[in-house]
Amino acid sequence: MTQTVRVLIVDDHPMVAQGIQSVLEDHDGIKVVGTLGNGRAVLDQLNGLSPDVILMDLNMPEMGGLTATELVLERRPGTRILILSMHDNPEYISTALSHGAMGYVLKDVPTDEIVDAIRAVMNGNRYLCTGAEGAIAPKSSDFPGALTGREQTILLQLAQGMSNKEVALALDISVRTVETHRKNLKRKLGISSTAGLTRYALEHGMLQGTGNAL
Amino acid sequence: MSSHLPFPRLTYAQKLSLVAAIPLILAVAAIAVLVANQSRALAEREIQALETQMIEAKKRELRNYVTQARNGFYFIYGSAAPNDQDAKNQVTQILSAMIYGDEGFFFVYDYDGINLVSPRQTEMINNNHLSLTDSRGKPVVADLINIARQGDGYLTHLWPKPSSGAEAEMITYVTSFPSWRWAVGTGVFIDDVLTSVAAARAEVEARVQRTFYYILAITLAALLMVFGSGMALNIRERRLADAKLKRLTQRVFDAQEEERGRVARELHDGISQILVGVRYALDTALRRLDKGLDTARAPLDHGIDTLGDAISEVRRISRDLRPGVLDDLGLGPALRTLVDDFSKRTGIQTDFQTVVFRNRLDQDAKIALYRIAQEALTNIERHSKATRVSVDLRGHKRGATLRISDNGTGLDPARSGGSTGIGLRNMQERVEQLDGAFRILTSNGTQGGCTVEATVPLTHLLPPQNTPQNKERSTA
Repeated sequence: MTQTVRVLIVDDHPMVAQGIQSVLEDHDGIKVVGTLGNGRAVLDQLNGLSPDVILMDLNMPEMGGLTATELVLERRPGTRILILSMHDNPEYISTALSHGAMGYVLKDVPTDEIVDAIRAVMNGNRYLCTGAEGAIAPKSSDFPGALTGREQTILLQLAQGMSNKEVALALDISVRTVETHRKNLKRKLGISSTAGLTRYALEHGMLQGTGNAL
Repeated sequence: MSSHLPFPRLTYAQKLSLVAAIPLILAVAAIAVLVANQSRALAEREIQALETQMIEAKKRELRNYVTQARNGFYFIYGSAAPNDQDAKNQVTQILSAMIYGDEGFFFVYDYDGINLVSPRQTEMINNNHLSLTDSRGKPVVADLINIARQGDGYLTHLWPKPSSGAEAEMITYVTSFPSWRWAVGTGVFIDDVLTSVAAARAEVEARVQRTFYYILAITLAALLMVFGSGMALNIRERRLADAKLKRLTQRVFDAQEEERGRVARELHDGISQILVGVRYALDTALRRLDKGLDTARAPLDHGIDTLGDAISEVRRISRDLRPGVLDDLGLGPALRTLVDDFSKRTGIQTDFQTVVFRNRLDQDAKIALYRIAQEALTNIERHSKATRVSVDLRGHKRGATLRISDNGTGLDPARSGGSTGIGLRNMQERVEQLDGAFRILTSNGTQGGCTVEATVPLTHLLPPQNTPQNKERSTA
């Protein structure tokens, strides 16, 4: 590694954040640019800190790791996000990957693995830690249709008759990003038209909940 | 009936009593009116018959009197000439003497209206009374003379009672001595008939009124019984509901205590012991480091390994208490995990199907459906001998439905009184709490399997605006 990797640690447990920071600072070529307590703070300081890799916890107050992952990638698509979590459930892993994370590492693995994972995702490789690999392998093609939170939001807005432009405006993202999400939606659901998307949402009880719950 | 609060039930019971009371009151009122009308009509017919009969009797009596009187002096009248004053005097004398009863007497008017005989009101004699009218304006004497001119007949009119002078209703029979141009007759007061008829009418009215009171009393008693038994039923229901609530609360407390006990035990027996082990390992390492020994690494390695065990143990306990997947990722992923674990543990081939949407159910619905799936899978594992299970979760236009089917032995009603029965009831109660529907389709003991189906209504789907976008942890 010739270039220093800028790492941002996001975890709402200070002891864990400090622990990781002290582990990483022992390694050359890695610079911890900051530690933040939730996803909202990451979005606010993303451009100022300009991290290469974000070590992201899942459960956090205000904004959790999954949503933050999606939103960070909308703003800075080049960022590599590595989920660092206590959850060893394969559902978390496949969900994290479907939200755009490059890797998934359990917090209780030997710390060297975290460094390995950072190096791997910096090289553009997906990294799943020991224990997670086996869990994820048979599942990867099993649940291809699962929508991310963002995709679900956009599907609903499209189904409610909003245009790409209106969706972009409402979510504060570019029209091109909306277009990408729309393509992914059509691919995941195997539906070719917007009318089809609307019908799909309707038939699966997605629109009817409007208003009468909560 | 599930355990609702007893209060709205009270008003419901009251409503029910009212619903029972209103038709009762209406029916009784209709019956009362009908009975009154019928008995009045019946009595009226009888009274009228009586009146007619009594008056007829009086008339016959009058006629007899007159006929008898006439026969008595016919020998004088029959042989006398029209202007035989002696004969006339003789007859007037006889007639004047023929007074009977308290008020009875004979009268004679000539056709010009001059009174010739009036033994009880002698001041009338030899005066012309042609223009005499009773207090209702009836020209009594003129009418009597008219009837006599045409032969004989009856007249009903008012006449002063000789005894008291008060006018009263009277029937008079009059006949004629045509050759003398006389109207001869006698009358009888019928006020006694009218009085007794009026008395009979009053009696009937009183009877009708009494009947009304009886009906009223019976109705009130019936209403009292309706409300009384409604109230008693209500109190009983409430007591039952209270008892049920008490049992339910006890069950909740028991479950809570049991769970706490279990967690406490697991923390103490599991985690604590492991952590103590780590502590010993670290102590050993420290001691060896202090002594400058180079064997400190082994206990450190051991400590780190053991800490890993502790982490796994905590993870297991936490997941058993409440799977984080359910809160963080939603019901779909939680069920997938549940199904995978089930399949691995039991070796039963288990499929899971769901739609792509996730985390759209509210917290209550998510937990309820998850626990139902857990219970159903537990039942399948324990009792069904199934070799295939399929779990299906999907949203639709009316809500969301979870369906768990197996190819096992089905539910045996004879057996479902035990823990399975409680399990099923728990499932049902969970769904009912959410206003949902719960169904069990079973083949009754043969190898046709069993399907458990729980549906929650749309109200438990989160509105689109609330799809978890910002908060993986707190939103459903």
